[in-house]
Amino acid sequence: MEFNLNFGWSGSIGEVILGATNTDGGTRKRSYHIGGSSNLPFIDQKEFSESPLIAFEICDNVQYWSPIAKSACGDVINDVKDWAKTAETSYDADLVRLHLTSTRERGLRDVSFVKKVVENVLSATGLPLIIEGSNEPSIDSEVFQQCGEAGQGERLLLGTAEANRYRSIAAAALAYNHSVIAQSPIDINLAKQLNILLREIDVPHDRIVIDPYTGALGYGFEYSYSAMERIRFSGLKGDADLTMPMICSPIDTLNIKEVREADIQNQNTIAVMWEFYTGIAAAVAGAEIICIRHPKTVELLKKAFVALKTKNIYQG
Amino acid sequence: MALKALDIYKLLPKKNCKECGDPTCLTFAMKLAGGKGDIDLCPYLDENAKTVLGATTRPPIRLVKLGVGERSISVGEEFVFYRHEKTFYHQPGIFFSVSDNDTIDQIKKVTTIVRDETLTRVGVDLHFSGLAIRNESGSADPFARVISAIEEIADLPLILISDNPNALNNALVHCGTYRPLIYAADSENYKVLCEISKKHGCPLVVKASGLEKLAQLTKMCTKEGVTDLLIDPHPQTLGDFITASSTIRQLAITRMAPDLGYPVFYDASKTGQQDAAIALGIVKYASVIITDPFSTASTKAALTLRQNIYTDPQKPIQMNPGLYRIGSPNKDAPVLLTVNFSLTFFTLEGYLESTRIPCFMLIVDTEGLSVLTSVAAGKLNETLVRDSIKKFEVENEINHRKLIIPGYAAPLSGRIEEATGWKVLVGPRDAAEIGEFLIQEWKK
Amino acid sequence: MPTVTFLPRYHKIDVELGCTVLDAAQRAGLNINVVCGGQGKCGKCIVFIQRGKIIFDHQKYAQFFTQDELAQGGCLACTTTIESDIQVLVPDTTLIQEQKILVEGQKTEIEFLPSVKKYYVELNLPTLTDPTPDLSRLLWMIQKNGGPVAEKIYAPLEVLRDIPAILRNSDWKVTGTIALVPGVYRLVDLQKNDTSKRLYGASVDLGTTTVVVYLWDLVNGKVVGVSSNYNRQISCGEDILARVNFARKNGLTKLQVLAAESINLALTTASDTAGIDREDIYEVVVAGNTVMTHILLGIDPAYMISEPYVPVVRRALSVAASRIGITCNSNGGLFVFPAVSDFIGGDVIADILTCGMVDREEISLLIDIGTNFEVVLGNKEWMFSCAGAAGPALEGGEVLFGMRANPGAIERIAINPNTFNTTYSTINNTKPRGICGSGLIDLLAELLRTCVIDRTGRINLGIKNKRIRQGKYFPEVVVTWAKESEIGKDIVITENDIKNLIMSKASIHAACITLMKAADITRHQISKIYFAGAFGNYLNKKNATTIGLIPEIPIEQIENIGNGAVAGANIALINRRKRKALDNIALKIAYIELNAEPTFMDEYTSSSFLPHTDLSLFPNVQRMLDECRLQRE
Repeated sequence: MEFNLNFGWSGSIGEVILGATNTDGGTRKRSYHIGGSSNLPFIDQKEFSESPLIAFEICDNVQYWSPIAKSACGDVINDVKDWAKTAETSYDADLVRLHLTSTRERGLRDVSFVKKVVENVLSATGLPLIIEGSNEPSIDSEVFQQCGEAGQGERLLLGTAEANRYRSIAAAALAYNHSVIAQSPIDINLAKQLNILLREIDVPHDRIVIDPYTGALGYGFEYSYSAMERIRFSGLKGDADLTMPMICSPIDTLNIKEVREADIQNQNTIAVMWEFYTGIAAAVAGAEIICIRHPKTVELLKKAFVALKTKNIYQG
Repeated sequence: MALKALDIYKLLPKKNCKECGDPTCLTFAMKLAGGKGDIDLCPYLDENAKTVLGATTRPPIRLVKLGVGERSISVGEEFVFYRHEKTFYHQPGIFFSVSDNDTIDQIKKVTTIVRDETLTRVGVDLHFSGLAIRNESGSADPFARVISAIEEIADLPLILISDNPNALNNALVHCGTYRPLIYAADSENYKVLCEISKKHGCPLVVKASGLEKLAQLTKMCTKEGVTDLLIDPHPQTLGDFITASSTIRQLAITRMAPDLGYPVFYDASKTGQQDAAIALGIVKYASVIITDPFSTASTKAALTLRQNIYTDPQKPIQMNPGLYRIGSPNKDAPVLLTVNFSLTFFTLEGYLESTRIPCFMLIVDTEGLSVLTSVAAGKLNETLVRDSIKKFEVENEINHRKLIIPGYAAPLSGRIEEATGWKVLVGPRDAAEIGEFLIQEWKK
Repeated sequence: MPTVTFLPRYHKIDVELGCTVLDAAQRAGLNINVVCGGQGKCGKCIVFIQRGKIIFDHQKYAQFFTQDELAQGGCLACTTTIESDIQVLVPDTTLIQEQKILVEGQKTEIEFLPSVKKYYVELNLPTLTDPTPDLSRLLWMIQKNGGPVAEKIYAPLEVLRDIPAILRNSDWKVTGTIALVPGVYRLVDLQKNDTSKRLYGASVDLGTTTVVVYLWDLVNGKVVGVSSNYNRQISCGEDILARVNFARKNGLTKLQVLAAESINLALTTASDTAGIDREDIYEVVVAGNTVMTHILLGIDPAYMISEPYVPVVRRALSVAASRIGITCNSNGGLFVFPAVSDFIGGDVIADILTCGMVDREEISLLIDIGTNFEVVLGNKEWMFSCAGAAGPALEGGEVLFGMRANPGAIERIAINPNTFNTTYSTINNTKPRGICGSGLIDLLAELLRTCVIDRTGRINLGIKNKRIRQGKYFPEVVVTWAKESEIGKDIVITENDIKNLIMSKASIHAACITLMKAADITRHQISKIYFAGAFGNYLNKKNATTIGLIPEIPIEQIENIGNGAVAGANIALINRRKRKALDNIALKIAYIELNAEPTFMDEYTSSSFLPHTDLSLFPNVQRMLDECRLQRE
């Protein structure tokens, strides 16, 4: 009897292209085709294939950014351009994820500065960019418009569409040829519903990255883990509305009690370990993009992903 | 594959005799299908039905107990590939490895850590499971000395790692009655190790590269009379592990390879990437994981991940509804409303604590649903808010009548104001912004 | 005794002083709208006193009246007491007789085998040479006339006592009534002369809100009268839970009496209309939900509504009607349908009997929708059932302009995909006052088809049309403008209404799927879907499928059985053999507790989408919606 792992998958994960190089009309140094897998993560993945990508998160207003991440990054945080550049050259991230935290200011009306911020970051790094816009419906449309326009031709990944506010981000993505992050609260059905809603306003599947919402390790991560597993399972089983790649963005990781209140000598390592354990588990559950805020985590994850793809005995 | 109620029903006598305690054969079949019934309760089952039902209700992965007493652990007896399909039942043991080349002091230090270190999370004490002693000296005496030193100070499950039968026999003089796990039988030595295992009634790990070999080996060991087995597919890389372990789990639970229906043993210390291996072992079906003693940081992350993955996914974790205090709020402190989904609670609590603004959290009973879901499902509504304010006597605690509600509950604000007579402030959607909100909006 | 005359149809009735107008009206057979059960809380029972003395506190209830109405002598019937002969005008709007209470009969032919039969016999006079006892003489002759074997007929003492006198006073020409309950034939009644043509029976649907009665001629198997009225227990609480709580606090007696009275009232109306004597009603068959039948029988239902939800009886019961206060023939019998669980009651068993699913190999799905819903899946071999709260949205509750199926309710509606103008029909073709359940289902389907809402029910405010707008709290769509409506306001449906409707439909669909998964069948294996319950009959099957209320199967396989409870009671009344099947049906059904079903929440979430998150379950709906979307673009 042969002991092979055969799940009888009938579907495969669709590809989404992040970033455009000059051959594709953009200015990125590289672009990625994420997704494309036709089995569970790392099961029959070959060494030369794409690992999960690591997106380093930066922001344009650090007031509420985790102090741990701030001190780990140092002075570069004061200039979003420096920060973006360091993420590429020094931290060795695959992607930069820019949170436009400056748009979170309450009562903000004039968002015309957004375009400039995006342009600055684009000029500072050659990595493909993920941009997180506002989370206030009344300025959504304008913010996404600005992001979309500033990144025209660069194949950005724009965040975040949700079931009750997806029209304006979709409009910006369609107008300027970008992709969108579709976030739903830790539920496979809600994830699928949002993808259908997006499809019905003509956002093609190869422009959607699913964010199933990641709770911090110890604070609901298990729900996210299972949501990711279920989404990947359904995608591989052939459910076309769930065959998009996934992004894991555990935004609360550095703010939870275990990390925030850790004693000073351990705090840095705990922060890294928390991101690292979360990242490994999420990658195994199916995430194609892992978001990270501590520079040290990037290297550890990369090394682990290489080892996960290496097969000496068991070929899968 | 598990049988459905109707398939089982077809095998039952359909007499509705009620002797099993159920009103009808169909309800009895539903119980059996849900894994809650006992087929022996049916007095009229024919042999064929018994065989069919028995085979599908027996756990596809054997349950193996390691150690004795309070700290003993059981591993195996899992039923699913994905935890969302049911749940994972028996969390993996994490064993710190020591060598019989280490000094007794060093070993006692590690033993004490494993014995005493406790991480309390969500009201549960989390521990490491035991010690794995490597017979690196190659001889029997030091091995036995180390084991007796450990036994002197702790009643922990042990793993004896040696390919020297004499060393194992000597060690088992000290700990043989405490069900240590013996590592490891291979195609060369399995007969001898099976003898030892049988003599002391200890569980045994079998080790082989390649699943076919592994299955052959378990078969041979069971022929020798040892059934409490664990299997080590002997991966060389993380990639080897995930493939082997996933294959074993899938073939075992589908009963396609009953000879692989044993808990998986994983030595993470030999991978060069211990943290990655531990995380991988936890999520991908390892039942026993060996590591070098590790840092506080890794400890916390590993134990937390293990707890997360082994909670029942179908149970929303709920907090008790009530009025919670952050710091020592006075009568003018803000009151923030949220739901009793523990994830929401802990997240908000964390952010509130970091603002250092004393305040009240009013936790209302949405049956563990999140804000978004409970608003959508109508569970979070003005009546609930009004009744909760009354029930938890919020008005006695404070002088003002202002309530901060989650951003996602904004559509309810008007109705809450009407129902309670309180003024409602709509807070941010993202808990991370609560500090800013309190500073800017509350202080006004 | 004051005489009360009700206009416009001049119903007259004599009542005692101090009786309320409501009581008088009910006794006169008028169905007054009393949503609150006669507590002066709802203001629906407005009548106009045209002549005579009454007592009514106009100040206290002023909120319910316009100036005009007060000037014309407006009062609330429920709190107005009668002090002299009076004349009362009951406006149409106060009457509920026009509510579409489902009363249609059985479609399929049922063999006529009633369980009571009358035998007219002429006996030979006893002589010294033929001193056969009276009873034997009677029973032998009945046997000779086609009745059951004389020795097997049991004669109760009450009848026995009357036999000698009746025989001798009637010149030995009598009519005996025999109840043909298998195994125990009973001599129920003995009357002088030939009354064999006067034999009636009644079937009753005892609902939480309404009581429906069918009166049958049991000689020729024809319906002779139909009547319905509100369940008078409404004054003790609107829903089942409230009733049980009422019983807990105040004891069972009042509820039991009200249940019996509600039935009696309907019996009276029906028999008066048919011109028959209630003494000639020999049998009453009752199907009702579990709590209602428990209360009617005077059995405490309190243990049923808390864990572990155990009802007291799970089999059919036969009792003397007089023992529980039903006024028919003094020896008349009462047959009560069995129940399965707290929520699967005799009414559902009656549905099952009506639709015939229990007789077939093929699998059927039965859905009974009211404030609660019950779903049964199965065939002659097995049955699964479950029940849950649908929420009141489908009955018009929790919807801003929702209403019950009363005159003025929009019951059908279509939306023009280009102009978003609506065309609709209302009950009785009056100006619209609101939207009832079937109208709401149409509306939801139409809003989806015209892309006014997305599949989660969100209104697309991006559409430039004056009907689509931001309301005070929620986005809303105007269904009719104020100038067309009876109520002088724009009738709208809000995003919140739509959410509530989706929640209701999601619960029902998730329940269907839960049963299908328990039985491991797909929608393709369902040969029939039966709708029973309040709005079953008026439901647009296509639209119900479009919104994903029910699994998609070919429309022609969906059938409305309307009020299955009374239809089932009818069957049991006119065919005694069918009764035997009832206990077996009850035993066959396995009950699945949805709250304990770990996957139910998951099914609910995936059903909370139009029509469903898994579009492959609704291929035709999906095709239709895709076409609609393309046309819009």
